[in-house]
Amino acid sequence: MNRNHYNFDLNGLLKKVFFVDLIQGLFITFHYTFSKTITMKYPDEETWIPYKRFRGLHTLNKNKEGKELCVGCELCQKSCPTQCITVVPMQDTTGKGIADRVAYRWEINLLRCMFCGLCEDACPTEALKLGREYELAGTSMQRHLLTKEELLAPQAVPAEFEGGVIVKARLGTDETGIKVVPDMSVQKRWW
Amino acid sequence: MPLITRSKKQEARNKKQEARSKKQEARNKKQEARSKKQEARSKKQEARSKKQEDDPVKSKIMFEPVILKNINASDSYTLTAYLKTGGYQALKKALEMNTDTIIQMVKDSGLRGRGGAGFSTGLKWSFIPKDPTIPKYLCCNADEGEPGTYKDRAIIEKDPHQLLEGIAIGCYAIGASNAYIYIRGEFTLGADRLEDAIREAHSKGYLGNNILGSKFSLNIYVHRGAGAYICGEETALLESLEGRRALPRIKPPFPALVGLFGKPTVINNVETLACIPHIINRGAGWFAAIGPAKSPGPKLFGVSGHVNKPGLYELPMGTPLREIIYTHAGGIKGDRRLKAVIPGGVSAPMLTEKDLDTPMDFDSLAAKGTMLGSGAVVVMDEKTCIVKAALIVHEFFHHESCGKCTPCREGLDWIVKVMRRVEHGEGKERDLDLLLKLCGDIFGRTFCPLGDGAVMALRGAINNFREEFEYHVKHKRCMAGC
Amino acid sequence: MATVKINGKEITVEDGTLILDAATSAGFEIPTMCFHARLSKLASCRVCLVEIVGQKKLQPSCVTPVMHGMEVLTESPVVKSARSAMIDLLLANHPLDCPVCDKGGECELQDITFKFGPRKSPFGEEKRRFHEEDYILSPVIIQNANRCIQCKRCVRICAETVGAEVLGSIDRGAGTGETSFVKEYLDCDHCGNCIEVCPVGSLMSRSFRYKSRPWDLKGVDTVCTYCGTGCQLTVQARNGEVLRVISKPDKGINHETLCARGRYGYSFINSHERLVTPMIRKGGTLEPATWDEALKAIKEGITGAIRNGGKIGGIASSRLSNEELYLFQRLMRVVLKTNHIDSGSRWNTGAVKTFTEVMELSRGGVSIYDALNTDTLLVIGSSISDENPVTDYMIRRLSQNKKMNIIIASPRGMKLDSSAALTLRHRPAAEGEIISGISRVLYDKNADKLNDLSGKEPLKSISKENISSLTGTDWGRIESAANFMSSSNSVTIAVGNDVLRGPSRLEFLNVLVGALRLLGKEVKLFPVFDRANQRGAWEMGVHPAMMPGYSATAGNGLGCEGILEASSRGEMDVLYVIGEDIVSDFPDGRFAEEALHRVKFLIVQDMFLTETAKMAGVVLPGASFVEKDGTFTNQEGRVQRLRRFLPPQGDAKADWEIIAAVGAAVDPSFNYGSAAGIFGEIKEAAPMYREIAFESLDGSGALIKETNRKGTDLKSVPSVASQMPAASPDPDYPFVLITGNHLYHSGRLSLRTDILRDILSEAIVEISEEDAKDLKVGKGDKVVVKGERYEATLTVHVNKRSAKGVVFIPENFTDVRVNMFFTKGEGLPRVRVLPLTGKSHGGGIK
Repeated sequence: MNRNHYNFDLNGLLKKVFFVDLIQGLFITFHYTFSKTITMKYPDEETWIPYKRFRGLHTLNKNKEGKELCVGCELCQKSCPTQCITVVPMQDTTGKGIADRVAYRWEINLLRCMFCGLCEDACPTEALKLGREYELAGTSMQRHLLTKEELLAPQAVPAEFEGGVIVKARLGTDETGIKVVPDMSVQKRWW
Repeated sequence: MPLITRSKKQEARNKKQEARSKKQEARNKKQEARSKKQEARSKKQEARSKKQEDDPVKSKIMFEPVILKNINASDSYTLTAYLKTGGYQALKKALEMNTDTIIQMVKDSGLRGRGGAGFSTGLKWSFIPKDPTIPKYLCCNADEGEPGTYKDRAIIEKDPHQLLEGIAIGCYAIGASNAYIYIRGEFTLGADRLEDAIREAHSKGYLGNNILGSKFSLNIYVHRGAGAYICGEETALLESLEGRRALPRIKPPFPALVGLFGKPTVINNVETLACIPHIINRGAGWFAAIGPAKSPGPKLFGVSGHVNKPGLYELPMGTPLREIIYTHAGGIKGDRRLKAVIPGGVSAPMLTEKDLDTPMDFDSLAAKGTMLGSGAVVVMDEKTCIVKAALIVHEFFHHESCGKCTPCREGLDWIVKVMRRVEHGEGKERDLDLLLKLCGDIFGRTFCPLGDGAVMALRGAINNFREEFEYHVKHKRCMAGC
Repeated sequence: MATVKINGKEITVEDGTLILDAATSAGFEIPTMCFHARLSKLASCRVCLVEIVGQKKLQPSCVTPVMHGMEVLTESPVVKSARSAMIDLLLANHPLDCPVCDKGGECELQDITFKFGPRKSPFGEEKRRFHEEDYILSPVIIQNANRCIQCKRCVRICAETVGAEVLGSIDRGAGTGETSFVKEYLDCDHCGNCIEVCPVGSLMSRSFRYKSRPWDLKGVDTVCTYCGTGCQLTVQARNGEVLRVISKPDKGINHETLCARGRYGYSFINSHERLVTPMIRKGGTLEPATWDEALKAIKEGITGAIRNGGKIGGIASSRLSNEELYLFQRLMRVVLKTNHIDSGSRWNTGAVKTFTEVMELSRGGVSIYDALNTDTLLVIGSSISDENPVTDYMIRRLSQNKKMNIIIASPRGMKLDSSAALTLRHRPAAEGEIISGISRVLYDKNADKLNDLSGKEPLKSISKENISSLTGTDWGRIESAANFMSSSNSVTIAVGNDVLRGPSRLEFLNVLVGALRLLGKEVKLFPVFDRANQRGAWEMGVHPAMMPGYSATAGNGLGCEGILEASSRGEMDVLYVIGEDIVSDFPDGRFAEEALHRVKFLIVQDMFLTETAKMAGVVLPGASFVEKDGTFTNQEGRVQRLRRFLPPQGDAKADWEIIAAVGAAVDPSFNYGSAAGIFGEIKEAAPMYREIAFESLDGSGALIKETNRKGTDLKSVPSVASQMPAASPDPDYPFVLITGNHLYHSGRLSLRTDILRDILSEAIVEISEEDAKDLKVGKGDKVVVKGERYEATLTVHVNKRSAKGVVFIPENFTDVRVNMFFTKGEGLPRVRVLPLTGKSHGGGIK
């Protein structure tokens, strides 16, 4: 028999009558409303901590005794392809560094830096590391000329922290710009 | 014939001496006291040696001593004793001869330097320019520092006039009127005896102006060293004599042309010079007939180590090692097996039992890859740890390297650091290859033979006893069980 | 000639050429460590080993000469492995603290390791360490023995070239360390040549400690402006701040050697005391002004003087460049129409004229290497070891490998005495008498050959006793000096500028030279100056009686002394002084100060506010030697380039620009745009400079050439009135005071350099050992030196070799003004030395 003769689609009609597609669609919406969130509430509540291999803002390290590892050898400056690093060494008898040679000036122009990491490779004392800070936008040029003191200050993400997680964060603002302050104690994986 | 022979009574003393030979520095301080003992001992020996002449076994291998013929006399170091046995006759004879004849005679005798290198003495003398207006010097190398060697000391202490006569003839032959005896600083008795002997000879006209009525004048000076092995190297000796740091000089120019104070200089070993009067007296042919043709003459062998009768033996060149150890030195102590023997001072690579029949002369030993050196035979029995022995030898070379050239200064330092590790059982697998590589890096590239000697000894030890070294590395302890 | 095959390439070289040199000329590189071209050969590092075909052992190429037919391999596997093994051994105990080491970046060990070394070392042991902290060896040298590789270059350069012998080795074997004396026992020249030759960072410059890496430095090869030797040096700066001076082995006559002043006398360039703006006196005080204001004031002053027909004078320093000195005399003679010009304020103007003639300066330059290629060298009138240290180094080095009799005639003992065959200790200002004595001996011995000697008449009047008592020198020594000369084929006479201070009878030099030439000797005359461009100043005509190129002037000009005399009479309307501190230098400080007070309009151009500048109406800020272009003519007559590589400080300008501006202010046609342009004009005015190309002057410069003008006429040499102090000592003032430059200082400029001040900042008095014994004083004690008009408290230095009765106070210090002891026209002053009991440390000025 040819049921096509009737040309009547009961299922379709029923679907229409009972708003099945709508309900199905709403169900997906509804499902996501109650499922685990995969977006990040950046920068207000959460921030991404990159892996160790990440090449972000430079940091100058100290050893366990708190002595500056940088001996001002100027190799980072020599290796820099964009010539954004300036190092001036000096003699130091106070013992703040691991040798009597320390950096008098260690400056980097982040506007020129391309984060290639060659400076890090050149560093013979592992004083220089490219850290995990990546929020480098700023409201003034001056903010991008970083000095030794600023780079010696520990970064929010410690070097030994594995990374690859999302952590709780707080959005702070000050005169230099916007700052996202991570709280490493509360973290989650994004998958 | 053994000249310092020992009875069983003396065994206790022998043991003492063995200990002393290891602590050479300490021994030298006690030198004077000991030499008095030796004098007393030699009196006893005289009596004993008369008995031995009757012994048929001994007389079979007997060789009439030449250089040491006087030393058993109690007053052998005095001029009277020396004159009694025909002393200074050779000088008298030489002064009547043409200088070229003397040099030719020494050349013909085939005398080779007894200091270690074995260079023809006559040839060395003939290099000195004949120009009478240039002052020339003769230096006697009495800086006997090679561990195991004590032949020159015996000559100096027991028969200094023999040396002085040799020097006088040498100076006459090369036309020098000043001679220096550079004596090792620790040989205080020897230096004193030499000075006394020079004084005596002066007073009797054997030295000084117009010696024995001839036109030849000679002054001999004794210069005491300050204790550096490198001063035995002839150019370093000259530097030290001139008052500078004892560092070897660049050759060429050789000392025969530019030597002491920039003037032509001959430098000869004590034993070499002591041979000269006998060559003059008995003729070159007599000398050349003793031992093998290429390195003839009597030779002093100082035997030490694990033998029953360590001591100084005067034997013809070419005497087989086995004969020296087993016949003359009385065999290995406690009838143990022989493990290794150093044939010519510690810079000579060691030989093992299979090489014992090697004749002890310059060329035969060179063919075996070692050398006659100073003729100091150091015998090691089967209980000896070769690694430790090699370390002791290298500590010595490390301490005595002058520090002038890179391979010797840094290389020996490196070797010693690795060897200490291996000896203490902290060695690694690759250390043996590293040691051999370092030996290769040093050998033939040093400024003077010191470094070469050091690595030759080590190479010899590793090549002959590699399994002992490997055992040390693997088991962190000694194979010989010491 | 020997033909050798190096790596298959055949080359022909001189017999006796070292394999190293032959290989280099064939284009093969052999690394070296202990080798140094101008030091004795050591062959201890064994890095340069090469293979000679047919020889079992590798041979050090730095000492092995080539032989005809030799076949050398420098790149064979054996050589390569030996080389890399040696480098590995050198590195074994080397601390490898390159990041900290100051030598990093220019270290020879780094370089050869990179090129020839092993890529990996099996060394895993503990390294040798002598000490943890670096030693401060001297005020300028820091030592780190851990890094030493025992090449002994420092020991050799110190003993063989510098002659100080303060470095040596201690211990032996692997424990060998370089060492030196400590503190007051260190009798060091502080020349820093040991630092320069050190291939690693064992000896380091204290002033350059941790300042910069070599690749950050920008530098320029220029010429030292301290003494007349004319050393080439390289000034290096980072960000406009001069950080160090180095010397290069292939540059200049000095070949890598410099003295303390040359190497450390640079920091005045960045001194905060530099004048950076013109100043005009307003109501008694000097106040900063603009260039327009200053030039306007000068224009008014000068045009006023010209209008009134007043006297105008000029005194320029002999440390200015040829271009500046030429422009200065041109300004004076052409624009201001005056002949009253002079260079320097310390010399007797008349003696200068005689000096230039007897020294035959117009005959062109004599290379120091030619001058020292001689059998006998007489050094007279100069404490050459202190005044011209690098000349002293060259004499010592070149005299070592050949037979050269050095005769030194000087009242003061000096370091070079130890290399001398004969020393003549004479009374101050008796140089002429010494020379006349030598001439007399030569004449007596060769009277028959010297019949034609002009000037023999005055010789005959000289008696042996007279000369002995005048000079205080044993006649026998004068005789043996003459004997040395008559037994030589060539004689070089080096005459220093002390003969210009207390003028003595210089004309006898002419007699001596004439006599030697008649005897068939080759005679070379070699002037020795304590100012870098003294010769240039005279050649540029900055002298009242000499035009450029030594041609005579028409008018009668006044020299410095004449100008000051005129000033003191109030006759001098305008006096233009450049770079000269007359108040401190003129040998009668009181007189100079009073005279300058009476100058109506005093213009001073200088880098610093000197005592003279403080009295000026207008002060103009000049530039230092790295801030301007130009040329210098050293004592040999060698013209060398000064190169600008930094802008002058503040508003200061190059001195030639200022002179041009002053000239243009008075006469607008006085128009000069560049140093090169001025040099072009010099070539016209002084024909000796004709062949010198300004732009292409390279490292070693170019010697000036003799012109066609006839040589000095022996008879026409003007005699000089001797001002030798009376022979009979005054019991009240038994000492004669002499002055000159100290080894660490030159003029007043070096005192503005903090590094040199660290070495020595206070005046000292040097007395002979004998006098020290009589006075019961020793090194470091304080004494009062009392003259008739001035007294000062000074620290004693004892010179073992000096003549008795001679007191030396350097002229460089501000705490004791040595020129105050002098009285104009009376020659060298006599003084009394009183030991100071108790401890008083003030500069006592009466």
